[in-house]
Amino acid sequence: MKSLAKKQNNKLITSIAVAAILLLLPIILSVTGNSYSILVLGFIIIYIIAVSGLDVNFGYCGQISMGHAAYYCIGAYGSVMLHHYFGIPVIITMILASILAAVLGAIVAFPASKLVFHFLSLSTIAFAEIVYTLVLNSPGKITGNAVGMFTDPINIFGYTLRSNTAFYYFGLVVCAVFLLVKWFLVKSKIGRAWIAIRENEDAAEGMGVNVVKYKVMAFAFSAFYTGFAGAMYAHLVNYIGPDTFTMKQSVMFITMMLFGGTGSILGPIIGSMFILLMTESLRVLEQYQMLVFGVILLAVVLAFPGGILGVVKDVIKKIKLKKGGVKNVVRN
Amino acid sequence: MLLEIKNLCLSFGGLKATNDVSIAMEEGKVYALIGPNGAGKTTFFNLISGVYKPDSGTITFDGQRLDGKRPYQVNEAGIARTYQVINLFKKMTVLDNVKVGMHTKLKSGFIQSMFHTKSQQAEEAAIIDKAMDLLAFVGLKNHMNDLAGDLSYGQQRLLEIVRAMASEPKLILLDEPAAGMNSTEKVELNVLIRKILARGITVLLVEHDMKLVMNIADHIFVLNHGQKLAEGSPLEIQNNPKVIEAYLGGGAKK
Amino acid sequence: MLFQVIVSGFVIGCVYGLIALGYSLIYKASGLMNFAQGDVLTLGCFLGYTFYTLLGLPYWLSLIITAAIAFFFGMGEERFIIRKLQNKNVLTVYVVLATISIQYILQNSIQAIWGPNMLSYPRVFPWNNVTIFGVNIQTESVFCIIMSFILMMLLQVFMNHTKFGTAMRASALDAKAAKACGINPSFATGVTWGIAAALAATAGILLGPIYGVFIMLGQTIGRKGFAAAIMGGYGNVIGAIVGGVLLGLIETMSAAYWSSTYKDMIAYGLLLIFLYVKPTGIFNEKALNR
Repeated sequence: MKSLAKKQNNKLITSIAVAAILLLLPIILSVTGNSYSILVLGFIIIYIIAVSGLDVNFGYCGQISMGHAAYYCIGAYGSVMLHHYFGIPVIITMILASILAAVLGAIVAFPASKLVFHFLSLSTIAFAEIVYTLVLNSPGKITGNAVGMFTDPINIFGYTLRSNTAFYYFGLVVCAVFLLVKWFLVKSKIGRAWIAIRENEDAAEGMGVNVVKYKVMAFAFSAFYTGFAGAMYAHLVNYIGPDTFTMKQSVMFITMMLFGGTGSILGPIIGSMFILLMTESLRVLEQYQMLVFGVILLAVVLAFPGGILGVVKDVIKKIKLKKGGVKNVVRN
Repeated sequence: MLLEIKNLCLSFGGLKATNDVSIAMEEGKVYALIGPNGAGKTTFFNLISGVYKPDSGTITFDGQRLDGKRPYQVNEAGIARTYQVINLFKKMTVLDNVKVGMHTKLKSGFIQSMFHTKSQQAEEAAIIDKAMDLLAFVGLKNHMNDLAGDLSYGQQRLLEIVRAMASEPKLILLDEPAAGMNSTEKVELNVLIRKILARGITVLLVEHDMKLVMNIADHIFVLNHGQKLAEGSPLEIQNNPKVIEAYLGGGAKK
Repeated sequence: MLFQVIVSGFVIGCVYGLIALGYSLIYKASGLMNFAQGDVLTLGCFLGYTFYTLLGLPYWLSLIITAAIAFFFGMGEERFIIRKLQNKNVLTVYVVLATISIQYILQNSIQAIWGPNMLSYPRVFPWNNVTIFGVNIQTESVFCIIMSFILMMLLQVFMNHTKFGTAMRASALDAKAAKACGINPSFATGVTWGIAAALAATAGILLGPIYGVFIMLGQTIGRKGFAAAIMGGYGNVIGAIVGGVLLGLIETMSAAYWSSTYKDMIAYGLLLIFLYVKPTGIFNEKALNR
């Protein structure tokens, strides 16, 4: 009992420390005169949300989407266009666009969820290509086609998030809420049904899980997350163009997710941070980015399917076994 | 009648896997389905549990038509099953496996789960006790936090049964529960099936082990070439010349 | 005009068919989807270019060498990556994910070796055009169509009328039973992957002189080949060819008479529509689960 209280205490201290660092980070960075880094922090937050959504679909429910850039795109363009053409306040357009992404996600996922699983990955690619083509060649140039569109920053109750620092704090709150909701869901009946589907579809169905419904639900949910991330992206950089929403983006999401570790809350956070910082620091290699992603993916799949998080967990387990091995034997 | 099946037919291509089978089952008994290899026992199981859709015929369970329903709907209606090949959720804990079994009994939906409402929390807390009770029932309580894939073969078989019981079914279908078990485990299984029955759950099992079947079943159905060959008490079946011939004629099984 | 459109529809349609055939073979043998299939086509295109243009080998020899290299590439992919993963009993999604990563590695390695610029084959045949029904058609196009049909027929004969083909089909149906009959199912599966890769690479070297040689050639074709396979009936050999030719015709027709901007969208749109309306395809293939 004592050790349990101590453990909880430790957890509390760690979370306070993490929160303090996260809150102070922009100040530290601006003192060191590195304001570009604050923008990168904003991007990391956006990716964490997008990849966390993708992870619900893949890590928990076991469905591959190779075209999540489409939902990122719908979130971004949806929000920008609703704001531009109808004058709806930005924060509301972000939510509307994410709902649109979720609905379209459900429509794409529905037929494929009844079929051999890799059909889904191809229909997602097909859908992503359609979305990309439409954005690039929209009828009446309503998306601005190759030129793209300029837009306004986020405005919350009259306060406009003009600086990257302001966006960072907004993003931090949004990200915390999204991660918390994901945590609640995956620990509930819904999450258990998703994992059951991933582990054994037939048995899940036999246990009373409506597999098609839950698969579509997971897909729509993940499309919502990625859509919202797209909308955040649009209103952070205040400009969107079709180039951001190619296949490369989808592959980047997947690489981040697998590299960090799937089926977890922490994995997407680690993966997004690491891969984004890597691509930022290796700009020279931009031409071979896809090669790097490919190699990372293959290495993860072949050698450490749990990603970084899996490796860390294994190491901790081994240390614990060495330390606590004797104790455990006595207790049993 | 708890389960009434009338004139059930299913063919694959030209092969009649299930041919005009009718059976009826009352509540509170142990039923067994036997037959030589390839008699269509598993197909018949899959028809009841909704994996296959019958070409014709009806399945009525507890006053409700089940033919053409999907497996999850069959489960909702109160029929749970185990599988011939172990079909556990290997990377989930033993406890979570049982919780998945309770899926249809949980009322919290997407929104309640998403916001972790009070009612959802209360429900989650309540099912832990129920799950522990079930695990204690088969002696797996100490393993509740282990991954299902790490259990021994015999334990996995037990978990399959408990997971099926978690949905509080009226009827449980056991597909070769004794496969791969040693004689001690078979005796334990015998006791377990009696205990399941004592909980008010009717049992239908497919089994090759004749000793077990004759010991435990109140009523036996015999299938051969997709057709019902005979039915009756174990004694009647043992002395039925048609059954004896089917077993000796079609590749003898002890 | 119409006739020329139909011919070019047939050219690309045959290529879709060859790719779709590869998907079907692999699906039957391993129950998987190989995303790298389209990029093996690119590889074939570049290899063929290298042998034919850079090394000056005869076209037919370049074709054979390319197909052979691709064959071993496919076998190696199966042997060293796919089977390793399957033996580890990982979830099937991970195996498919591996093929996706192979796709990107292949695509970018090709770019690293041959550079990002578009290359072009010199003429393969001494005469530029053949005249059919009074219309001039590029000789290479005719050659591509004829070769594709020959390949498809050879494959049919090989699968249905040779001992090894029977062994391959047996292993795909039931590996254990095949083993009991003295067939080595893992070797048969490897050969299947090899053949699929060889088909794709051959398609690449046939298409090169018509379309040019560039990095993204195969990726799009790979995806559309999948659309073709769905249209025909996924896993069905005849369906793959019919679906391929049909898709090629629809696509080329709509590009010629409607809009070339939305040409690619048509294949993808058809894929999604078929999944909704008729996932078993034209030939009603029941290889899909449920």
